[in-house]
Amino acid sequence: MSVTDDPEEATLLERIQDDPGPAMRWLAGALLLFALEAGAVVNFVTGLFGPGMELPTLLSRELIPNNGFQTPAGVWKETFLGLSPAVAWGIRVALVYVYAIVCTWWLWRGYLVFREHYRYADWTPRDDMIDRLRGHRWGQFGAVIVFAFVIMAMFAPALGPTTVERTIQDPYSYTVDYYDENGELANVTVGQANLGARSQGTPDQNVGVMQYDEYGRFHPFGTLPSGKDMFTFMAAGARVSLFIGLLSIGLSGFIAASFALLTAYYKGLVDLAVVITGDSIMSLPRLLFVMLLSVVLADTWIAGIYSGGLLLALIFAATGWPILWRAVRGPAFQIAEQEWIDAAKSFGQKPRITMQKHMAPYILGYLLVYSSMSLGGIIIGVAGLSFLGLGVSAPTPEWGRAIDIGQSYVTTTSWHISFIPGILIVLVVTAFNALGDGIRDAIDPQSEGGEGEGSEAVAAGGGGA
Amino acid sequence: MSEQVRQESVGVQTGETLVDVNGLKTYYDDGGIIDSNPVKAVDGVDFEIKRGETLGLVGESGCGKTTLGRTLIQLEDATAGEVLFDGTDVTELSGTELKNWRRNSQMVFQDPESSLNDRMTVGEIIREPLDVHDWETPQERRERVRELLDVVGLQPEHYYRYPHQFSGGQRQRIGIARALALEPEFVVLDEPVSALDVSVQAQILNLLEDLQDEFGLTYLFIAHDLSVVRHICDRVAVMYLGNVMELGETEEMFANPKNPYTHSLLSAIPEPDPTADKERVTLRGTPPSPRDPPAGCPFTTRCPMKIRPEKYEDIDPDLWVAIEVFREVLRERARAEKSLTEIAKEKLGMETRFSDIDEIRTELFGDLDVPSRVREHVEVAANHVEQNDEHAAREYLADEFGSICDAEDPSMHVVSDTGRTSNCHRHLPDYQEPDEFTPYTER
Repeated sequence: MSVTDDPEEATLLERIQDDPGPAMRWLAGALLLFALEAGAVVNFVTGLFGPGMELPTLLSRELIPNNGFQTPAGVWKETFLGLSPAVAWGIRVALVYVYAIVCTWWLWRGYLVFREHYRYADWTPRDDMIDRLRGHRWGQFGAVIVFAFVIMAMFAPALGPTTVERTIQDPYSYTVDYYDENGELANVTVGQANLGARSQGTPDQNVGVMQYDEYGRFHPFGTLPSGKDMFTFMAAGARVSLFIGLLSIGLSGFIAASFALLTAYYKGLVDLAVVITGDSIMSLPRLLFVMLLSVVLADTWIAGIYSGGLLLALIFAATGWPILWRAVRGPAFQIAEQEWIDAAKSFGQKPRITMQKHMAPYILGYLLVYSSMSLGGIIIGVAGLSFLGLGVSAPTPEWGRAIDIGQSYVTTTSWHISFIPGILIVLVVTAFNALGDGIRDAIDPQSEGGEGEGSEAVAAGGGGA
Repeated sequence: MSEQVRQESVGVQTGETLVDVNGLKTYYDDGGIIDSNPVKAVDGVDFEIKRGETLGLVGESGCGKTTLGRTLIQLEDATAGEVLFDGTDVTELSGTELKNWRRNSQMVFQDPESSLNDRMTVGEIIREPLDVHDWETPQERRERVRELLDVVGLQPEHYYRYPHQFSGGQRQRIGIARALALEPEFVVLDEPVSALDVSVQAQILNLLEDLQDEFGLTYLFIAHDLSVVRHICDRVAVMYLGNVMELGETEEMFANPKNPYTHSLLSAIPEPDPTADKERVTLRGTPPSPRDPPAGCPFTTRCPMKIRPEKYEDIDPDLWVAIEVFREVLRERARAEKSLTEIAKEKLGMETRFSDIDEIRTELFGDLDVPSRVREHVEVAANHVEQNDEHAAREYLADEFGSICDAEDPSMHVVSDTGRTSNCHRHLPDYQEPDEFTPYTER
């Protein structure tokens, strides 16, 4: 109350100064949560400028190691508290997810604190949307799976039983300790050990789901035919998929929204030009076009970035924006007819700000819906390209490549190689669609329950690859 | 209340003209490259609005009154003509000049559901014009918004509410506050109460009148509700098909309409007294397409007092009406959308749904005593139609039964001492004045 005479005119900062209690309590919690992972952030930031700085972090493999060896007496050495690698790994995974859930919950609490203590408006239209999402079970199912997938991608290095560098990229520079059959502590390179842990479809040449190999290494998802740990491969692959998916959907969403707003505001020739461009791109057979582009551009410098991941993201963005643009063009035209747009014109508002303030908020929801739905399509597309041997180049892990590699073992004991990535892709894509459904019902309660034409269009678009 | 306003504004009226509209035309071109036949929404309009007065603009739906209002505040580009605002032609303005001028004239929109952005708080909505024009400091802008909320009868604590939380009448008050934020001199009110409950309409109208007193505003009040217009307007312009048909003092015009169209329009107001013997002029048909307005007077196709050619001066009014309806039917048929099959059938000389002219003729002329000098012309026209040449039929009938009304666009005639003007050939000395003439349909 002390800052200005009229408390209603204070900025957010001033409002917090007036009543710091709830904000401070929330901030303290946030700092505590951040401190647990600060080491990882420092490592990442310093890693950008050279070798990363190592600091103790709660969720690191150094704190809870799962790699060790078993003495002939059956005691585990070098693992976390002497537990078996499976249990140590399980604890670490559980910890990662608990941490992520607590962080998310804390952010949600932060929003509630803001809503309760610092927001002037008692009610905003967004409150209703959130309330509707709270009662939407199918959307929540999607959100949970998507959350799990995103956390898997974010914490990939901490989640895997081993690291990508150790087992996939540079296996002959690292070693594992084990007791050989003579009861002596022996030492062998990871590459050598991998050869002994191969999954080749025969009972004596297979490391399946939740099994140990003969060097005492635990493989939650089994191993690849080359003997590399598949969970590590999958977690790193999730990162690649998510990077490509988010980047390309972000780019195409931005292009789609800009074009939709411009065409709806100016109409006429601008609209015609974009319609022709968009329809021309949409009329191309997308998968073939994407394959053509990724082959043609394979030798350029851009294909070298992130093992071709950046190139793929750009290609998917360039070919995918017309689908999103088509989806939001209608709503944009509808909004452009509202009288508040005329009102803005009548007092001389700049077109750019009119689009941003008076039109964009109304199409953003639709964009979110269609983006989350076509994200699944892109994940399938990237996997499809890797399956065909295009796309993300080896050794960078990609789910589609695992399916490809495991193809010939589907009917054997090594079925897990194709099956697990396949099931995960189905699950993630379904989840993104469910989340999209949920968001749509939240922003537009009238469409509730109906399988909109939107999802069909997206399915058609995503099914291209 | 309204009496008081009128007297006050009369005092100011002697001052100056605020808005002067000369030969204004606004055409909507669909941008068709092959067949560019624009909609002539406003087709040559002249009038002026005095400072401090309320000019009503009435007419049926689609007559171009909203387009006229939007053109005056430069939401639409004028095709031709000029709008002089305080001496400056605003149709020529652009860029910064236009933006600065926009402070002077604002608009209150028809539909309060659609005129407010639901994702912004009321405070943000009313503040936006102030932000756009960099009005004073942010602190003062917020104070101004609270002041405006108070002025339009809302509470200052509504600042942080959303439009969803208000009723239609309250939303319209928010719209009015937004229009007033920049202290404009001229406000276009586009049917501001037509979307509201009757009980709320009066409140909003009173608010508008109070605001006019307080801030010396000039209104252009667009409406189709004639009783509202009579209540609030000093002068009224009656529009039909993009043209102003009559323009004059409200009371005088309501008491004694001069133009045939005004006459028919006003006769549609229900009379509260059931015993009153009131003649009601029912207009037949619909207005012509604004893409293709009649060549002469815009009202010629429906006018119940149309001037007859001299040689048909004496025929029976019922027969004359039948002839007019016959022409109307042919015109309407020209407007009908024809499918490709129908066009093909027509070219091949086959029977189409448009060719049953005999039925129409029987229906129109069957019960009437048609003298042979009329019958022969009707038959020639019918023959043209049967040969699928409706254009020739229309031309023929226009030549034979057409008059000055079909041929020449009438000019504005001053019809009273107060300077009322009316757009009708009957004000010419050769013809009977409209208010002395009994419509054909009434005889």
